[in-house]
Amino acid sequence: MSARKVMLLGEIGVGKSSTVQRLVFNRFEFDYKPTIGVDVYRYEIPATAERAHTSLIVWDTDGNFGDTIFKHVYMKEAAAAMIIGDLSRPQTLETMVNLANGFRDALPGRHVSLLLNKSDLVRSPDAVEMPAGFDRLKIVPKFTSAKSGQNVETAFVEAAEAIERRGH
Amino acid sequence: MDTNGLQPKSTARPAPLVAAATLLSSRNVYGLIWVDQSLYVTATYGPLVNFVDIGEPMTSSVPVFVGLESEILQLKESHGALLDLPIASIVTAAGATPKLNFTALWSFEEDAFLILVSRAGQVSNVELELSRQIRARLIAEAEVTHKSKALTKANIELERANRDLEEFASIVSHDLKAPMRQLRYMIEDLRSGAEGGDSAPLPIKTLKGLHDVQCQSQRMSEMLTSLLEYCSAGRKDEVAGIVDTEALVSAIVRSTPRPAGFSIQTTGLWPQIETLQAPLDLILRNLIDNAIKHHDSDQGSIRLACADAGDKLEIEIEDDGPGIDPRHHVAVFLPFRQINTGERAKIGHGMGLAFVKRWVEAAGGQIRLQSNPAEVRGTCVQITWPKLLIS
Repeated sequence: MSARKVMLLGEIGVGKSSTVQRLVFNRFEFDYKPTIGVDVYRYEIPATAERAHTSLIVWDTDGNFGDTIFKHVYMKEAAAAMIIGDLSRPQTLETMVNLANGFRDALPGRHVSLLLNKSDLVRSPDAVEMPAGFDRLKIVPKFTSAKSGQNVETAFVEAAEAIERRGH
Repeated sequence: MDTNGLQPKSTARPAPLVAAATLLSSRNVYGLIWVDQSLYVTATYGPLVNFVDIGEPMTSSVPVFVGLESEILQLKESHGALLDLPIASIVTAAGATPKLNFTALWSFEEDAFLILVSRAGQVSNVELELSRQIRARLIAEAEVTHKSKALTKANIELERANRDLEEFASIVSHDLKAPMRQLRYMIEDLRSGAEGGDSAPLPIKTLKGLHDVQCQSQRMSEMLTSLLEYCSAGRKDEVAGIVDTEALVSAIVRSTPRPAGFSIQTTGLWPQIETLQAPLDLILRNLIDNAIKHHDSDQGSIRLACADAGDKLEIEIEDDGPGIDPRHHVAVFLPFRQINTGERAKIGHGMGLAFVKRWVEAAGGQIRLQSNPAEVRGTCVQITWPKLLIS
């Protein structure tokens, strides 16, 4: 069994904690509780014919870290980053671009997923204009909703598979 | 007392410190984890670390150290080195630990790694609420910043679009003037040739047609000139100065040509203000001229009033003419729009009020119409003229 460290990154209030709680506990809390410091979650992805059993150690960080997170010991040996934005707040999508670039600079070659969260709050998620630089990341983002559970598990399973393929 | 594990090994340690440590451990203030050189947990001390499984890899129970294994192994190489991981909570399906600080070190005495786990300061409900509110404020501030940026961007684009449009209209009107002039000269040549007997006389109908074409081309040339002036209105680099509005309006009234039956009265307080004199002069002259030109009688009365409203002047130009139907109150301010029919439609090119509106808005003011001929004759043009000019 291998444990892989996955960082949840994104601006304050984009739904990082809600996303990981949906993943681990399959629940959604309407009451907003800010994350203080770091919450470390363990999520087991069972083995299938195509993949080995993987433990994801998901680091839910305080959104206040901003870019300084990349210099923090927390980031050491992270295998992947799940970068989350709030589709209903365009500026959080701009932050996603900065975080993705920052993560790639800090840990080259590691997997990055982009999660466009709160898709349930937007009438036409596909029509939301992405900020400059988003396309250049060359990552197909996933529309997620921590509230409904849409794509949350899929995103983490795909990230685990990508980590497996990359070998780190 | 449940110490849940090993007793301190060294009898040389002072008893009061052991007692204090035991007390703190029992109160969940700290706990200890012993880890061997393969990074397997060999022992724990204190209920705070009850979540740690003995005999399992350290990272199974304490996943905050996943990825930091090499850092921990290096601790052995440098005496007194520490690896600190502050404020983390470990959350599993079974529940969450309190917020904990983790410090790893190599213990030469015990030939093992020691993980000191201490409880981070508990967050009170007040602190949590404060944190919640700070975050809400940060989110709101980020929203405002983003919207402000978007607005600035939209304004810049709008200004550019307006500038492009004005330049386009200016270029087109300028370039069209030359061929229009040529057309007029050609018609004049044709007419003078026909009238001078150089060739066979033209039929009356043809001569009339040439005359009409000449009039229309003359009108189009004038319209092009007006369009050029309209495009440049409000763009002149005039410097604001102190203007005595009472003296200004008196001079305008004295110098405005009008039929004998027309009277112009000024009322209210016309103060001295710092403003651009030329546009204010042009606006008042145009509006008085308009009131006279579009009047349906040889006799009429025009009233100019001004009131000081703090940082602005409220100016009114009122006449007793036929009035403007409310349906046309927007259209009359558009370039080349005339709402008159018949003979009165031939007066000007429909640019007067368009110019006035453009000048007023360029100065940061506003213009409105009060008129409803169905109820009462007359039109009142109200202008809000700022005392402080916008940049």
